[in-house]
Amino acid sequence: MEQPVQTETWKARSLEELVCILHRIFAEDKISVEEVQELMESYESNSEEWLQYAKFDQYRYTRNLVDSGNGKFNLMILCWGEGHGSSIHDHTDSHCFMKILQGNLKETLFEWPEKKGNGEMTKKSERVLRENQCAYINDSIGLHRVENISHTESAVSLHLYSPPFDTCNTFDQRTGHKHKVKMTFYSQYGERTVCVSTRQNLALPAPSH
Amino acid sequence: LPAGLSQWFPALEVLDVSGTGLSELGTELLALPCLHTLLAKNNRLGGPGSLPKGLGQAPLGRSLRVLNLSGNRFSEVPPALLGLRELRSLSLGGNRLHSIPPEIQELRSLEFLYLGGNFITSIPPELANLPSLSYLVLCDNKIQSIPPQLAQLHSLRSLSLHNNLLTYLPREILNLVHLEELSLRGNPLVVRFVRDLTYNPPSLQELAGRTIKTRNVPYAPSDLPENLVRYLSLASNCPNPKCGGVYFDSCVRQIKFVDFCGKYRLPLMHYLCSPECSSPCSSASQSSTSQSESDSEDEASVAARRMQKVLLG
Repeated sequence: MEQPVQTETWKARSLEELVCILHRIFAEDKISVEEVQELMESYESNSEEWLQYAKFDQYRYTRNLVDSGNGKFNLMILCWGEGHGSSIHDHTDSHCFMKILQGNLKETLFEWPEKKGNGEMTKKSERVLRENQCAYINDSIGLHRVENISHTESAVSLHLYSPPFDTCNTFDQRTGHKHKVKMTFYSQYGERTVCVSTRQNLALPAPSH
Repeated sequence: LPAGLSQWFPALEVLDVSGTGLSELGTELLALPCLHTLLAKNNRLGGPGSLPKGLGQAPLGRSLRVLNLSGNRFSEVPPALLGLRELRSLSLGGNRLHSIPPEIQELRSLEFLYLGGNFITSIPPELANLPSLSYLVLCDNKIQSIPPQLAQLHSLRSLSLHNNLLTYLPREILNLVHLEELSLRGNPLVVRFVRDLTYNPPSLQELAGRTIKTRNVPYAPSDLPENLVRYLSLASNCPNPKCGGVYFDSCVRQIKFVDFCGKYRLPLMHYLCSPECSSPCSSASQSSTSQSESDSEDEASVAARRMQKVLLG
C-alpha cells in the first residue's frame, strides 16, 4: 500500500484493502469522521468481493458481520429485500457509517423525542442514498429509519459502527416511546449464524422483557 | 422471445428477461417443462395478452414455482396466471393494480405474495384461503381496512401493511400465532377512543335469527326457505365472552385500544352484538367496570404481549 500515514485521502481499491486501512486508522487514538467517510466512499462496490456476505432473508433485512475490527469497530453488510425497512433507532453513543453497495436506501432522520414522549415524532429530513454514497450518523445528530423503498430491486449496504454495540433503542414513530432491543447477526464472516431463538431482530425487545 | 426457445433449451430452469422492454410473454414459454423461475421485472407487460393463454394447463404451468412481474404495467392481476397451482412465489410489486381478485385463492401453493406499491383499496377475504401463505406484502397501497378473515392465515410469518390508509385493525389479528413481523407505520391509525354512533337496531329477521341460534332451536333445510337457511349460517359470534350471543348484520362497531405496556397502542375494531356488550380485548390501563372482564383479559393480554414483540414501529 502506497498510502501515507497521516490524515490524507485514502483510496480503497478493494474490500480487503478497505478493511486493512480501517484497521490502521482505528489503531490510532484519534480518528477523523471525515477520513473514514471519505475512505468508505472511495471503495467502488464490486459485488464479487462481498457476495459471500450478502445473505438475504425473505422476511426481513439481515445483518452479516464482515470484520470485528480488533474490538474497535464492527464492519457488516446489510441485505434489504424489496420493501424491507428498519424501525427508528439510535446508535448507543457510537459512530455509524453506512455505504450503499447495491441499489438505493431511503434514510429518514428524526429528532429525539421529548422526555415525556407522547406525541408523533418529528421528521427532520429524508434522502435517498445512491450506490457508493456513504452516510454518517451518531446520537447527537439524531435518530433514523432506513428502508429499501423499491418494489423491484433489493439493496445491499456496508455499515461500520465504532465502538461496536449489540443493543440499541427502537422508537414508535407515533408516540416517541422507546424500547431497548438486542441485535444479532444473520451470518458472521460469511457463515450463517445458528439462531437460538427465531425472534431475533432489530425490532424485537430482549427475550427477558 | 425467440420462437424456438423450448427446442433449443428444453432443460431451462431459470429465465430472467427483466429490463428488456418486453410487452408480452408469448407461447414459446409454454413448452418449457423444467422452468421453475421466471423473472420479468421492469418491462412493459400489462396489456391484454401479456401472458400466454393456457398457461395453467401447459407444462410450464406445472413446473413454475417463482414468478416475478414487478415493475410492469398490470392494472389487474392477469387471469392467465391464476391457473398456476404449483406457484410458491408471486410478485406484482410496483404495478398499477387497483384490486385483488377473489380467484387469487386458486394459487393453492402460494407462500410468498408481494403486492406492494400498487393502488389496491381493499383485500378480498378469499385471500385468507391460501393455506401456505407465510409472507404477505401489501405496503404502499390505498388499503382502508383488513378483513378479519385474514386471521385464518395460520402460516403467516410476516405481514407488511405500512403506508396505507388503515385507521384500525380487526381484533382477530391477535390470533395470528406465527406472526413475527408486522409493519404498520404510515397509516392514519386512530389514537383517540372512537365510538361509532350509528348503531342500527336489529331487524325482526335478525332478532328471530339470534333467538334461533342462541336457544338452539332445531331446524332442518326443509323447514325454511333456502335464503333463510343461508342467512342462519352467517351468524357471527359476539366476542364478548360474557355474552355468548350472535349477530348477523346489526352490530356495534367499537374501537378499543390494546395497550402494549405503554409502548404501542393498537386500535382494534370489535364487532359486538349490542351496545351493552363489552369486548374481551380491554386495555390494561383502561379501568374495567366489571370484575368479570378481568378473566377474559388474560387470553387477550397474552396475545397482546406476543403481538408487542412483533410490531415494527
